[in-house]
Amino acid sequence: MHHIHTYYTVRHWADWISATSLSQWLQNAAWFVPTSQSIHIVSLSMVFGSALAIDLRLLGLGRSFRSVADLTRTLVPWIYGGLVVLFITGSFQTITEPTRQFVSPAFWSKMAMIVCVLALTMWLSRSVAADPERWNSIERRPRRARLVAVASLGLWIAIIYCGRFIAYTWTLHV
Amino acid sequence: MLDHALTHLQSTTLAAAIRGELPQAWLGWLFPNIETIHVIAIATVFGSIAMVDLRLLGMVGRRSSAAQIAAEYLPITWTAFAVAAFAGSLMFISKAVTYFHNLQFELKFLFMALAGLNMLVFHCGAFRSVNRWNDQLPPPLPARLAGGLSLLFWIVVIFFGRWTGFTT
Repeated sequence: MHHIHTYYTVRHWADWISATSLSQWLQNAAWFVPTSQSIHIVSLSMVFGSALAIDLRLLGLGRSFRSVADLTRTLVPWIYGGLVVLFITGSFQTITEPTRQFVSPAFWSKMAMIVCVLALTMWLSRSVAADPERWNSIERRPRRARLVAVASLGLWIAIIYCGRFIAYTWTLHV
Repeated sequence: MLDHALTHLQSTTLAAAIRGELPQAWLGWLFPNIETIHVIAIATVFGSIAMVDLRLLGMVGRRSSAAQIAAEYLPITWTAFAVAAFAGSLMFISKAVTYFHNLQFELKFLFMALAGLNMLVFHCGAFRSVNRWNDQLPPPLPARLAGGLSLLFWIVVIFFGRWTGFTT
């Protein structure tokens, strides 16, 4: 019952957005969604590639010669910058197809996980900046370092999964 | 002749399973899962090679040498490329004839070939003397050219890859 109520509420918002002139205009531009999704994937690559490089370094995998602090200083700005582009393209895609997004559990899971991974990344970059020596030495590195890396990687992979599965909510569930 | 081989390829049980045409309902999830693995893999390919390209342009990672950045990222690029190629092949066989004759798909492979050629020219050319310009900023013109072209070609590959999904 609660489920059905939630469905009608989000459906109401989706219908309202759908009826706006911006949404109508974007819906009629066939080129828009594929182009926006392509930009979304290019930005996602910069974000995921940067997070992966930091996380592999924290796990002691990979071949980085750089310190953890050097990596976070160089790459965390790419994560933030990429997220801005992802937010803009994602917002326009949501305005174009609000129903498809809002009724999808994958969409809401993705949003919740983005908030978590963003908080985790901000916490990590501040902790590393506050005590770079400690994070860099394998012996003195906080025990949490491995956990943070695994959580970050797991969240990003789950976010990409949910993002792609928004497209299949209709075809496979409804 | 080629179409005959492609038709044969997409009539296999594996191809039917990826299309979700077998009686088992759960196989409907196969294609979205392969597609998502493909996305994660290409994000890793582009996210890692772009950092090497940006270093060749002298824009990012300036505290490290060009060869160090390449050695740090390229194993990640190649591993992810293998995963992307495997997942991509599985999607390809599900509708081999359609993909093969799709313009966006053909353009994607044309630009991937250009990216490969660019990489080959760079490795057999400017990269052989990397020790002479390893810490030079900005890097010499051939290195910057290779970095810029690589970025451009891979972005075009991603665009045509996404457009393939909308036109097949």
